[in-house]
Amino acid sequence: MAFARASFEWLAPSLAHARPKPWRRQRARIFAIGLAPALVVLAVITIGPTLYLLVTSLTPASPVHPKSLTDFGDPLGNYRAMIGDGEFLNSLWVQAKLSVVTVVAQLAVGLGVALLLNAPSRFLEAVRTAFMLPMVLPPIVVAVIWKILFTPDISPLHHALAAAGMPVHSLIANPDLALWAIVVADTWEWFPFTMLMVLAALQMVPSEPIEAGRIDGAGPFALFRYILFPYIRPTLVVAALFRLIDSIKAFPLIYVLTNGGPGTATEVTNYYAFVEAFNFSYWGYGAAIATLMVTGVLLLSWLVDRLNPEEALDE
Amino acid sequence: MVEKIKRRRLLVTGAAVAGSLLLPGKAPAQSGSKPLAGTTLNVSCWNHPYAKLLTDLIPQFEEESGAKVNYETPSFPIYNQRIDIELSTGGSAYDVLNVTFIYIGRWIEAGWFVPLDDYLKDPKKTPADWDPADLLPGVTVAFKDTAGKLYAIPWTGDIYMAGAGRFDLFEQAGLTTMPDTFDALSAAMKAVNKKDGVAGFLTDNHYGWSFVPFLQGFGGDVFRNAPDDLMPVLDTPDAIAGAEFFSNLLRDYGPDGAISYTYDMMVAALKAGRANYCPNGQIFVVQLAAPDSQAAHTSNFSICPAGPKGRFPGVATHGWGIPVGSKKKDAAWQFIVWAMSKPVLKQMVERGYSSVTRRSIIDSPEFKGKMTLNGHDIAKIYVDTVAYGTKGYMKYRTVPVYPQVDKQLDIAIQNIASQQMSAKQAMQLAQQNSIQELKRAGVKL
Repeated sequence: MAFARASFEWLAPSLAHARPKPWRRQRARIFAIGLAPALVVLAVITIGPTLYLLVTSLTPASPVHPKSLTDFGDPLGNYRAMIGDGEFLNSLWVQAKLSVVTVVAQLAVGLGVALLLNAPSRFLEAVRTAFMLPMVLPPIVVAVIWKILFTPDISPLHHALAAAGMPVHSLIANPDLALWAIVVADTWEWFPFTMLMVLAALQMVPSEPIEAGRIDGAGPFALFRYILFPYIRPTLVVAALFRLIDSIKAFPLIYVLTNGGPGTATEVTNYYAFVEAFNFSYWGYGAAIATLMVTGVLLLSWLVDRLNPEEALDE
Repeated sequence: MVEKIKRRRLLVTGAAVAGSLLLPGKAPAQSGSKPLAGTTLNVSCWNHPYAKLLTDLIPQFEEESGAKVNYETPSFPIYNQRIDIELSTGGSAYDVLNVTFIYIGRWIEAGWFVPLDDYLKDPKKTPADWDPADLLPGVTVAFKDTAGKLYAIPWTGDIYMAGAGRFDLFEQAGLTTMPDTFDALSAAMKAVNKKDGVAGFLTDNHYGWSFVPFLQGFGGDVFRNAPDDLMPVLDTPDAIAGAEFFSNLLRDYGPDGAISYTYDMMVAALKAGRANYCPNGQIFVVQLAAPDSQAAHTSNFSICPAGPKGRFPGVATHGWGIPVGSKKKDAAWQFIVWAMSKPVLKQMVERGYSSVTRRSIIDSPEFKGKMTLNGHDIAKIYVDTVAYGTKGYMKYRTVPVYPQVDKQLDIAIQNIASQQMSAKQAMQLAQQNSIQELKRAGVKL
């Protein structure tokens, strides 16, 4: 477009300055018309249900009492109830612990493995593919794998440890360790995401500063600390935020491995909302919890958007 | 064009009449015995063994009635969630539905199913030999409202009983009979636990079902007086004593990680001989004697043991009902009549169905033969237990808000067995949370 405008300018500068405005407006209108169907679809399938969720959260909706679906007598009742709901507050705390620990673990493992695999080699390429396997498995399959591994009676892991003279009791039945067991399974499933992002970032690092560093006598740690890390830091931040958003949606592992137990030791907010909405039919209350979670995820998404890696690299 | 169509229809009709005349008796008889020709029925039930066995027999109904049946059997939680939403919207997507035991209060109280009494009384709709009085009263009563109207025909009676896969270990310890009281159970567990590497006690982690016979056996209950007074009573001294006793069994005699065992894991452990004694639903316990069970030849069975305040074995049921939204209620009733007829149930027993609700079939030699497992008469345990169900102590389970308290019981037992809390603390917390949940549901306490 810049080329087209330039060609008008040398022919008739005044005309060229007069025409772009309506032309731009026309172009914007055409773009808007072209985009409209997609925006309508997006509104229907994304914004519509979200608004419905928000509206439902303002009612005591329950399918058992059809009138409750449109009862807006106490629109903030569900939100007030949340403040006094010990189980909900506990679920927030469990969620926070799970999110922080899984994100840190996934970043550390993903970064470490990416650094080990960042070399041109057919063998390492095959290893990279193998490491991606957990991430592409259906989450429910991952949960079943870990359910077997965490059940002492049938677990090859427990049997091997017992045979080596280090018997370990059930982790998922221990209230102090159950959340850690979920962290292990979740990290196994999702560290390849961080690994892939970091590998992509590492392959964008120019070779000159690394070579210069080596000539200057920098060791592997110094090379990482002063050359590689500044390059991949924005990628790590974005990966962390993506994983943080995803950790809020943790469900299959908890549903299959612990059902939120022992007691409420692994009952995260997502799972609690599911139980309230679908086991007890408190749709309004479940919607209020979900609305709170959507708000949190939107805030994190906005943060991801603000930390665009390319812009950060340009800076 | 109209003329052509008319002529074509005339030719087709003529050919059909001619055909019927060529096959004397056949065609008129077919149209007469296929009263539901052209009708499509949508039927759904959760994937209980009965529902799966019925899948193979439905073509018989289609053949006899002329109806087409769309039949689905999703898993238990999926079924309940899907149908709860469907019923709440008054939808007409289904014609015949399973009325799930724990949702009886909610679904029937909300008026989502039609009463079946008029169908049962009408000789044009229900054959005289169908014999509704043959259905076990102990399970049928669950589907009646306070006015005595019946809303579903029970197809199963799931009873709470006890089984021991390694009864040989009991015998080695000098115990010749299955424990009949909680005290005897406690002593037996002490004697057999870890013998031959086998955990003494196991039950699945749905304690809202498996713990309640112990709660009631100690004199406790779930609600003060269900269904009229739904004030939870989980923190009474009796309830706390029951919770402590039951949790100790799990903690002291259960396999490592006992509180993480779901019902499928429990059955696998019992059949593999990794756990010994199990009080639970009949559909799970009788699998100890299945052909692929390593415990088949060492198994023994009994009625649920009694506590200091009596014997309270769980009795659950599920039944066929007609949702109010159905547009084909008469056809739906014909399906229920067929599915619960004696000939169809006999066929199911031949194929391995064990929780029949018709007394005439339970008393038949064929059923008794099938239900004698490793020399033990399960049919007697079944009938005796169902008879307990008429006493009314199961009413706690069919109130609309029971799922909320059910979850609190699960959490309480896990909290005690994993030693996060004392029995008193855990049951007090369960009481407090149950009250909060019930208030949220609009229950006036």
